[in-house]
Amino acid sequence: MANLTVEHVARIEGHGNISVSVEEGVVRDIQMDVVEPARFFESMVVGRRFEDAPLITSRICGICSPNHALTSIKAVEAALGVEVSERTRLLRTLLVYGSYLQNHATHLYVFAAPDFVGLPNIFPLAQTHPDVVGRALKIKKLGNELCNLVGGRSVHPVTAVVGGFTSEPSSRDLSAMRARLRDIVGDALATVDLFASFKVPDFDTAGEMLALTSPTEYAIYDGDVTALDAGWTRPAADYHDTLRESIVGHSNAKHSTVGGRPFLVGAVARMNLNAQRLGARGRDALEASGLVLPTRNPFHTHVCQAVELVDAAERCAGYIDRLIGSDGSSEPVAVDVSAGTGAGATEAPRGTLYHSYSIGDDGLITKGDVITPTAQNLANLEADMRAFAPTVADRPREEFVLLIEELVRSYDPCLSCAVH
Amino acid sequence: MAPRVVVLSLASDFGCQVQITNTEDHLLTILGLIELSYWQLASSGHMPDEYDVAIVEGAVTTDEHAHLLRDVRGKAAVVIAIGACATIGGIPALAGSGSLADRYATVYGDGVIVPAVRRAPAPVDSVIHVDYHVPGCPIDQSEFLRVLSRVLLGLVDHTPDMTMCGSCKIAENVCFFDSGVGCLGLVTRAGCGAKCPSLGRPCTGCRGIAPDANVVSALEVFERAGGGADALRSALDVYNTASEVHV
Repeated sequence: MANLTVEHVARIEGHGNISVSVEEGVVRDIQMDVVEPARFFESMVVGRRFEDAPLITSRICGICSPNHALTSIKAVEAALGVEVSERTRLLRTLLVYGSYLQNHATHLYVFAAPDFVGLPNIFPLAQTHPDVVGRALKIKKLGNELCNLVGGRSVHPVTAVVGGFTSEPSSRDLSAMRARLRDIVGDALATVDLFASFKVPDFDTAGEMLALTSPTEYAIYDGDVTALDAGWTRPAADYHDTLRESIVGHSNAKHSTVGGRPFLVGAVARMNLNAQRLGARGRDALEASGLVLPTRNPFHTHVCQAVELVDAAERCAGYIDRLIGSDGSSEPVAVDVSAGTGAGATEAPRGTLYHSYSIGDDGLITKGDVITPTAQNLANLEADMRAFAPTVADRPREEFVLLIEELVRSYDPCLSCAVH
Repeated sequence: MAPRVVVLSLASDFGCQVQITNTEDHLLTILGLIELSYWQLASSGHMPDEYDVAIVEGAVTTDEHAHLLRDVRGKAAVVIAIGACATIGGIPALAGSGSLADRYATVYGDGVIVPAVRRAPAPVDSVIHVDYHVPGCPIDQSEFLRVLSRVLLGLVDHTPDMTMCGSCKIAENVCFFDSGVGCLGLVTRAGCGAKCPSLGRPCTGCRGIAPDANVVSALEVFERAGGGADALRSALDVYNTASEVHV
C-alpha cells in the first residue's frame, strides 16, 4: 500500500481530508486534515452588543444551531447575572432535545447506516427498505418539528433570546407534540435494535472521556463536567482551566487535551457517565441493546445515540407534562447591564459545547471564546486513527479506506463547528 | 434525462443544506426528479466532470473557492446560490472588515501567518454569474422548493424586490418601532412572510437589502423611533457588511 489521501470525507458535516503515510507497507502516520476555512466567530462578536452573540454564534453550525444559540445565551446570562424562569429552562431543554432527535436520526440513518449496508448513501434504501427510510425521516422530522414548535425554526431558532423566549407554543400544540413523542418511542426502540444488530470493529480508545453530569437527570442542558477515568467533577464554567487547546499545522481546528491526554466527548462518554439517570424506557433500551458499560469503543456511538433517542422521546413528553401543568412565564426577563465575564455549557448531540464572553459596562462584548465538541474530539480521533489503522492495514485498499472513514464518521464530526 | 445536480459548500455552517434535508415530506420526490451527482454531506463519491445544475452554499473566503466557482460556471448550465452567505456574504462577511491578521491573532494567537489564499468574504456572484438566488439565513424550505421546481421546468424565478413591511402588515404584527425598537424589515427583501417579527423578534436582515428599499427614509425612522443611525448601521452589519449600502 502507498501513501493515500481521502479528500472531502463524505457524510460528515464540513470539509476534511484523511492523509495516510505508508512506509514499506507499514502505516507510519495518519492525520485528519481539517481544511474547512476559519470564519473567525470569536473575533466577529467583539465590539457587538451582547444580544447579538447568540444570533451570530448560532451560525457556527447549521446542524446543531439550537445548542450554539442556547450555550451562547447561557454564557451571556452568566456574564450579566441573569436568572431565568423554570419554564424557560424546560423550553430550552426541549429545544436541545429537538436538536438531538434531528441530529441523531440524521447521523444514524443518513451518515452512518450506508456504511453498514455497503451503499454510497441512504437514498437507494427508499426503494428496498421503505420502512427503514420512513422511520428515519419520521424521527428526523419530529425533531425538526419540536425545534420549530419551541424555537420557531429548526435551523437557527428565532424565539430563544437572552432572558427567555419571545414567543411560546400553545398548550394545544404542546399536547399534540407530546402524543407524537410518545408514538415515536417505538421507532426509537427499533433504531436501537437495528444499530445493535450491526457488527462494529472491536476497538478501544485510549482517551479520557468527558461529559456533563447532574445528580438529578441525564445532563443535557446543564451540569458539571465529569471525567470518566480521572473521576473528578468540576464546574463547566472552569473549562479554561480544565482543557488545554493547541494549534496543529494540518488542521484549521485547534486540538484539545485534558490532563495531557486526548479525550472523547459525545454519546459514548455521556452514556458511560449518565446511564443511571436514563428514564425507564431508556434503561430498557440500553439493556435490550446488549451494550456493556463502560465501553471504550467509539464505534458504539451509534447504539448510544439510538438509546438517547428513546430517552429523549420519553423525557420530552414528561417536560411537556410539566409545561402544561404549570403557569409561569418564559417572557424574557429584564437585563441589568454591568461588566462581567461568564461561561455556558450544554451537551450538544456531538458532545459538550462551551461558550464564554466578557462584556463591558456598555453591553458590548470585549472577548469571546467557543470550544466545540468536534474540536475537543479531534486529538482523540487522530490517536484512534493511529491505533486503529495498523490493525486493518492488511485489508484491501478500498476496505481499509472505508474502515478509517467509518471510524471518522463514528465520531459524528462537525468540521465547520470545529473550525468556526 | 433527469438533470444532473451537484451540491457544494464554501464557507458556511451547512445550515442551508440541512434545510434541504429537512424537506422530509418532499425530499424523495425531489430526488426522483433529478440525478444527484454529488452531495458530500449525504453521499460518498467524487465530484463529477459533467453536470447540469450546481447548488452552492457559503461565502467565498479563499482563492480555492473562487477557482472552484469558475470551474463550476464552466460546466453547469444553471447555478443556484442558496442562503445569506452565498447570496449577500452574510455572517462570514462580518469578519471582512479590518485586518485579517488581527482576526487570526484573536482566534489562533499571535505569530500565526495568514494564508496567502485568504480573501475578504464575498457572495458567489462576486466571482461568477448566478442564475437563481435563494436568500435567507437559513433558506426557507418552501422557497427553495419553489426555485428548484422552476429551475427544473426552465422557468424564470424572481425574488420579491419589495421590503418586508408589507408582509408584517398582512401577518397583523404590531410594528416594533411603535415601542421604540428598531427592525430591519424596513429595508429587507420580502419573501419570508415576516417570520421573525411574527415570532416576536425584530427582523435581522438575513435576506439582504431589498432593491425597493428607501434607505434614506429608513434612517429617518431609526432616528425617530429605532435607536438612531448607529443602531441601523450596527444591525445592517450582521448580514449586510458586503452590500454596498451606505447609511
